[in-house]
Amino acid sequence: MSTTSVTTTASLPSSDFPEAQPLRQRRGANREGLEAGRRSTRTILWILLAVAMVLYGFPFLYLLFTSFKTPIDTIAVPPTILPREWTLENYTNALGRSGVLASFINSIQTAVISTLLSLVLAVPAAYGITRYKTPSGQVFIMAALVTRMVPPVAIGIPLASMMASVGLSDTPIALSIAHTTISLPLSIWLMCSFFESVPRDLEEAATVDGCSRLGALWRVVIPVVSGGIAVTAIFAFLASWNEFLFALLMTAIRSQTTPVVIANFQTQFGLDWGSMTALAAVYSIPVILLTLLLQRKIVAGMTLGAVKG
Amino acid sequence: MRISDRRFALYLMTPAALFLAVFVAYPLFRLVADSFFKISPIAGGPRDFVGFQNYVTAFTSEAFTSAGWRTFAYTLVVVTLEFALGLGMALLFTTLGKKSQIWRTVFLYPLMIAPIVAGLLWKFLMIDNFGLIGTLLHQAGILSDPNQIGWLSDPNIVLFSVAIPDIWLTTSFMCLVLFAGLQNIPGDLIEAARLDGARAPALLFRIILPLLRPVIAVALVVRGIDAARAFDTILIQTNGGPQSASETMSLLIYRTMIRFGDPGLASAMGTIYLLAMLAIAFVAVTTIWRPGKDN
Repeated sequence: MSTTSVTTTASLPSSDFPEAQPLRQRRGANREGLEAGRRSTRTILWILLAVAMVLYGFPFLYLLFTSFKTPIDTIAVPPTILPREWTLENYTNALGRSGVLASFINSIQTAVISTLLSLVLAVPAAYGITRYKTPSGQVFIMAALVTRMVPPVAIGIPLASMMASVGLSDTPIALSIAHTTISLPLSIWLMCSFFESVPRDLEEAATVDGCSRLGALWRVVIPVVSGGIAVTAIFAFLASWNEFLFALLMTAIRSQTTPVVIANFQTQFGLDWGSMTALAAVYSIPVILLTLLLQRKIVAGMTLGAVKG
Repeated sequence: MRISDRRFALYLMTPAALFLAVFVAYPLFRLVADSFFKISPIAGGPRDFVGFQNYVTAFTSEAFTSAGWRTFAYTLVVVTLEFALGLGMALLFTTLGKKSQIWRTVFLYPLMIAPIVAGLLWKFLMIDNFGLIGTLLHQAGILSDPNQIGWLSDPNIVLFSVAIPDIWLTTSFMCLVLFAGLQNIPGDLIEAARLDGARAPALLFRIILPLLRPVIAVALVVRGIDAARAFDTILIQTNGGPQSASETMSLLIYRTMIRFGDPGLASAMGTIYLLAMLAIAFVAVTTIWRPGKDN
């Protein structure tokens, strides 16, 4: 983790810290809103932050440390924080198990299909809602919001039997459709916020120049909101990547995703904590790194989605 | 021939609407329909219409009513703690200004972790015997025995213990949303209040919180809905135990459906659960959120 934060600091443009110097000169006279002024106060606040960050970051670090212990040390009493002996044994055990690598491929497949499906459906729908404020559009966005409240456990079983009746049971397609029921409302919500921020004149100019409405959407508006589409894609991907309940209800051996495999370690192989921590680390680190790399976009998306609602 | 704007908008929305109709509305319809039948769990088994029998069974069963109260208590604990911690962190980041930006990003990392992984990780930290938390508290002299607190094995506290991963995962979300809200409070306003001699508590309760109200409402409603549906973290930590002490509504419905093989009863429970969520969300939205009134 520490190396990650170092690289992120290095990659930040220096323009992020223009306030650092002038701030002290302006202290007291015109500090910015809620920013703390006195140096002693600031020191205490920084210490508080450090404590909070350590407490908040520790659980995952402990998972990482544990994954490098020997399988026996993993459940030693009393436990130690750092491994007595660093080894990759848990990793070779976890990844060597039958079905584990296949589950990674299933997870990727399911998440990619679900992301594409969400985008293909959400982008035009959100555009229709925001550009032409028709009554049907308002009804539709309310309906999409209500969808968010449906407990997955309530529709999981009927969905599974629907998929079975069309011969799709235990396939990544069926699971990605189920995941899209979660990510589609979220994607519509996010894309509405992004379309809202595109000036109307843009497509009006395009239509005056002879573009059809669909042409204006495709050639003028979509390129402008491509950043927003990328954010929406990340959220749809994450929703599917981390989903467990639908995966549990709708997959068996063939299309099982990694979260289900991680949970199964508990019952199938007794309590194999070492392999579980290793697999959990391998599954989580790519998305954590992705977030740290794309942090700005993700923060923008989350706040847009929640604050503007 | 050029179609009207209204029709064009409708065409754009149709694919998404059809998708939601087929894969959300239809399964929901099936759920409600199933709730009136006694269904054999075996495929192709008998299916008898029993009217409201399943609803009567649900409401008179102790398991159902206690799961309802547990879900309520769980949601309340999760949302309250998340809000308090999230607001604290958001204020901390705001008072520290731009220099804390990098830490703001790092603070987001649990949001990317699968709930199943978070549940597993916290189970590992709280488990009896080789759980680290008990051991550390023992070494610090707070507990006389590392196993003194049975985080996940004591029925009296387990509901709070299973909430910890959920709180850990999404305090970041609360912090992020509140932080964004804090950035929109005009600095002049704070300055003016300070010049009038307002101290920190007055500043917080008289100015900051009232101004944040719309943002707080959205954050609470969104997180409340999610917390009430919690499943993954609880399933992997305790599977609803010990003695059903951490069995929330999602888990009860799942077990009724899968383990006890009673899809009819599970559907009735699911229908009641869904209606309760819609009712609570509706009340919350109309009383505190009031979309269109803010900004």
